[in-house]
Amino acid sequence: MGRVGRALVLHELLERTRDRWVLVISALFALLATGVSLYGRSAEVEVAKLTGPSLVTLTALLVPLVAMVLSHDAIVGERDRNTLGLLLSLPVSRIEVVFAKYLGRALALTASVVVGLGIAMLASDAAGARTLSQLLGPTLLLGLAFLSLGMLISTCSRRQVTAASIVVVTWFLLVFFYDLGLLGLLVITDGAISQDTISILVIANPAGLFRLQMMQVFAGTEVLRDLGMTASLPGGAASALLWSAWLLVPSIGSGILLAREKVT
Amino acid sequence: MNSVEVRGVFVRLGRVQALDDAHIELAGGKATMLAGPNGAGKTTFMKVLLGLVRPDFGSFAADGQAIDIDNEWKQRIGYLPEAVAFSDNLTGRQVLGFFARARGEGRERVAAVLEQVGLGDAQRRTVRGYSRGMRQRLGLGVAILANPDLLILDEPTAGLDQEGLSVLWNVLDQWRAAGRMVLISTHDLALTERRVDDICVLRAGRVVVQGTADELRHAARLAHRVLFDVADDDPKVRLLCDAMTKWGKGRIERKPGRLIVEVAPDSILEVMEIQSGFPETVRGLRVEEPTLDLVYDRLLGAA
Repeated sequence: MGRVGRALVLHELLERTRDRWVLVISALFALLATGVSLYGRSAEVEVAKLTGPSLVTLTALLVPLVAMVLSHDAIVGERDRNTLGLLLSLPVSRIEVVFAKYLGRALALTASVVVGLGIAMLASDAAGARTLSQLLGPTLLLGLAFLSLGMLISTCSRRQVTAASIVVVTWFLLVFFYDLGLLGLLVITDGAISQDTISILVIANPAGLFRLQMMQVFAGTEVLRDLGMTASLPGGAASALLWSAWLLVPSIGSGILLAREKVT
Repeated sequence: MNSVEVRGVFVRLGRVQALDDAHIELAGGKATMLAGPNGAGKTTFMKVLLGLVRPDFGSFAADGQAIDIDNEWKQRIGYLPEAVAFSDNLTGRQVLGFFARARGEGRERVAAVLEQVGLGDAQRRTVRGYSRGMRQRLGLGVAILANPDLLILDEPTAGLDQEGLSVLWNVLDQWRAAGRMVLISTHDLALTERRVDDICVLRAGRVVVQGTADELRHAARLAHRVLFDVADDDPKVRLLCDAMTKWGKGRIERKPGRLIVEVAPDSILEVMEIQSGFPETVRGLRVEEPTLDLVYDRLLGAA
């Protein structure tokens, strides 16, 4: 990465740490995660049975929101402020601009997740902290996938308010309604759609993939088998491929779109 | 870099031919104004030079050598976009600090530029609290940060108060004195006319004319006004009017204490000769050139 790219990474990180919305949602995440952790500890239930699954649900809800709030204005914000041309007039390629913006915001997201889960781990006992530490990596992957999606939305949007609206709708669709939609599909088709197809559709959504992988960690494969979801659990390589696709494809798409754009 | 020449630039944006065989010449030590109505292609022309819009056709040369609009070229350009607004959450110093790091400039340069654009006292305040003029001055600071060979300013006077305008004129003078180039687009012709050396008038993506303000006035062939200060009770004023009428090349108007003759620029000397026959009647005189707005309207109307 060149000098402009490195400067942009730092600039993005600095700017995000001063964004009130990011700070508020990150603080909310840290507060709720700590609350769940403290409740689990007082209930004296095995961490993997109560705290872990509760934190998975919380994480699957809030981390995508933090990520998309972080990234929705990456490009369109510059467009709104009339600084996109100024930024692109620097000696830097447009792909590098997108990459540097992604990286700077990814660092901010990592800080937000590490602080949130870190406080929850501190509030838990040693065994609980070890179990909760297994959440960290997948949570970051989940966040980075939605960050990438937010970058694409930001590049495609002409106004920041439009990007914000699309981000909220996307968050609702992927985090809340996706699974309900699949259930509805099963009911409407009266089970004509195979279990395998449903399983593939579940893991095609990063939030679904995250929940499934974490369910396996905290509840074990048996619970998934009872739910008829074992077929959908991707192996290590398939899992890496799926996460890579979610992380890279929207970001690269964003870079290509910006590279083609005539900045008027 | 002492000169830039752009030739035969064509840009199509959707269904609009934004630039249609446009050309411009920029010379070191000179400020050139891009003038034209909204949609004439001024900003597009600037964005072509900045590498933000890739032209369908066009050739570029610096110091007589063909060049590409690449990162090496971008290193030598400073840009102030129209109505720029930076991130509300950062201070002026932080905004300039980012561009300084990106351009390889140090903290000393940031401090010097903040002082130069008159934001030394406001550098630790967030941009949220800046007025429009202060944001514009911050943008000007970003543009001049790396001492570029070519300064491209898109509507820089918009939102500037008198202090901001002084900062802008100082920057322009400094750039010209250093033998660098400035390209400036504006609607405020009267305000900017005396600050630039060259004017390039665009219409519908085409360059109508490029030259000095005097050359443009000449090309427009608009009447100049010769104003004579006279005493209303002086009977010889009537004789002077008669002489002018007999001469027949100007339009004569009488106002209290004043006789006004509108003539073509190449007839002014003849008017002077006629008035020299009435030395005691004419207490003072001055010649008013047509405003650049009138010249511009004439040139655009004729194009």
